[in-house]
Amino acid sequence: MGISERISGGETGTNRKTVMGLRKETIEGILWSIPYLAVFTVFLVWPAVKGLYMSLHTYPNKFDLTETEWVGLQNYVELFQDPVFYNAMEGTLLFVAVSVPALVILGLVMALGVNRDVTGKRTLRAIYFSPYVLTVAVVALVWGQVYSQSYGLLNYYLGFVMENPPGWLTSPDLVMASLAFMTVWWLVGFNFVIFLAARQSIPERLYEAARLDGATGWRAFKDITLPQMRNSVVFVVMVQFILQFQVFAQPYIMTQGGPSDSSDTLVYYLYRSAFSQQQFGYGAAMGYVLVAILILIAIVNFKVIGDSNA
Amino acid sequence: MPESTQSRSLGASLTGDAVRSALLHVALYGLAFLMAVPYLYTISRSFQPNELLRDPRPYWIPPLVGEPITLEHYRYLLENTLVVQWTINTFIIAGGATILIVAIDSMIAFSLTRLDWPGQGAIMGIILASFMVPYYMNIVPLYQIVSNLGLINSYWGVIMPAAASPLGVFLLYQFFRDIPVEYEEAARLDGFSTFQVYTRIILPLAKPILSALALFMFVYNWNAFLWPLLVLSNETAYTLPIGLVNLYQGNIDTPGLHMAVAILGSLPLFVIYLIFQGQIVRAVQMQGATG
Repeated sequence: MGISERISGGETGTNRKTVMGLRKETIEGILWSIPYLAVFTVFLVWPAVKGLYMSLHTYPNKFDLTETEWVGLQNYVELFQDPVFYNAMEGTLLFVAVSVPALVILGLVMALGVNRDVTGKRTLRAIYFSPYVLTVAVVALVWGQVYSQSYGLLNYYLGFVMENPPGWLTSPDLVMASLAFMTVWWLVGFNFVIFLAARQSIPERLYEAARLDGATGWRAFKDITLPQMRNSVVFVVMVQFILQFQVFAQPYIMTQGGPSDSSDTLVYYLYRSAFSQQQFGYGAAMGYVLVAILILIAIVNFKVIGDSNA
Repeated sequence: MPESTQSRSLGASLTGDAVRSALLHVALYGLAFLMAVPYLYTISRSFQPNELLRDPRPYWIPPLVGEPITLEHYRYLLENTLVVQWTINTFIIAGGATILIVAIDSMIAFSLTRLDWPGQGAIMGIILASFMVPYYMNIVPLYQIVSNLGLINSYWGVIMPAAASPLGVFLLYQFFRDIPVEYEEAARLDGFSTFQVYTRIILPLAKPILSALALFMFVYNWNAFLWPLLVLSNETAYTLPIGLVNLYQGNIDTPGLHMAVAILGSLPLFVIYLIFQGQIVRAVQMQGATG
């Protein structure tokens, strides 16, 4: 400590060289930050601000976007009266309700399984995680074939145990669950490796102590594993909520929101409003409503899982 | 008598353990097999001759005796589509974004943790807060900004927004902050400049985390879908994911072609995954540990 104080004292000495009254280290600090801050400002902060402006305007001329018309909150008012918006919201919530719990619970079960005394851990990890490195376009292509009603893989084998297996992507009742199931296959590896790391960092002596007290199995899981893994559970639940809430590519590629709008989602509707119908103000307003919903979800999440074990 | 009950229960618990262990293996490897079925199916069908399409039975490689296999789907794609061009585009975009991200993120993380200047806490706070801005919320205004900058249909139009992501800054910030100050002090006493401290002390120490971040960002940007879809409207500028979907929704309509497209589209990244699996997994686990 003494040495470091003396050195930082010495540094202050060299730092007296100043430009416009700024210490050398301050100037350096700013210079080293500027490249990222410039990109961050132009491509992340500025759009967020501009989005608010856009959401309060309409763009009457689709070819000249400098022509704007102030409409106040009209875009937001229209949005909340728009049946397509509510239908897309319903689809999104259904997708989230199926995919998020499955992603979290399956990821956790896989991690706890692999953490046990198993041969070939590395192989298992490699296979479980591998779909995560596929692009959603490939996932959609492959599962389009698996789900296909007439010549699909799934229905061929289901044909042995049931008559007339359903059209997984053509039935309004099944389509969202089918897309969610496919998404679980694609992304569960992400949760699995995070849970595995979290589980492996729990000290084994906690379980030994519990065993002496007669706590094994479910008790040990409830009293040691879950509380010790709480941070990673909270993280994974949050990330998956935010990610799955923004589901877009699966319905866009595989179903175009159909059949009869049963697989429409909020981001897909946002995409259509802004980029097919050129309603930029409306799309921007939808973006802001999305954020509001996500922040609400984040707060609820923290309240529910963040505090329950504290 | 008590001795024999004890040994019997010990034996019972031993077989119990063995049974439990066997069940666990069956479950875990069974799941792994189920997860791999779509791969096997994709590979098999990409070699399926079109004349077998009417056959409702799934086609598996190796094919049943007497069933032919074909390379026509691959040949068709390589000759009649821009799939090679798209692969190159994707390499340039994902690679460019990765290099830019590692460079500027490590610079600002260095500045925020190893240099001392007023306002750095506030800046880190703003960067952290930006995690709350979901990516898709920004697409409408961002599209206009990128369009005004004349970056539509250009690689930069995809790369620059990708480089604004706060994830790398956040991860590197955590890591740089924990590097003991002694290394740096010794170097400063030897007359190292700030630049030398960055290149000769911090970057070498951070090499594992930098390569993990780089690989993760490469995978992430390789797979990006919605943003390239918006920015790249010219067929020659497509990335692989966009090109694949365009083919899928366009005029290729046989399962064999679909599957061959899927293989060609994921092969480069899959090879990278097989080589660098450890680092990619570590990058994901770091996110979990810092979250």
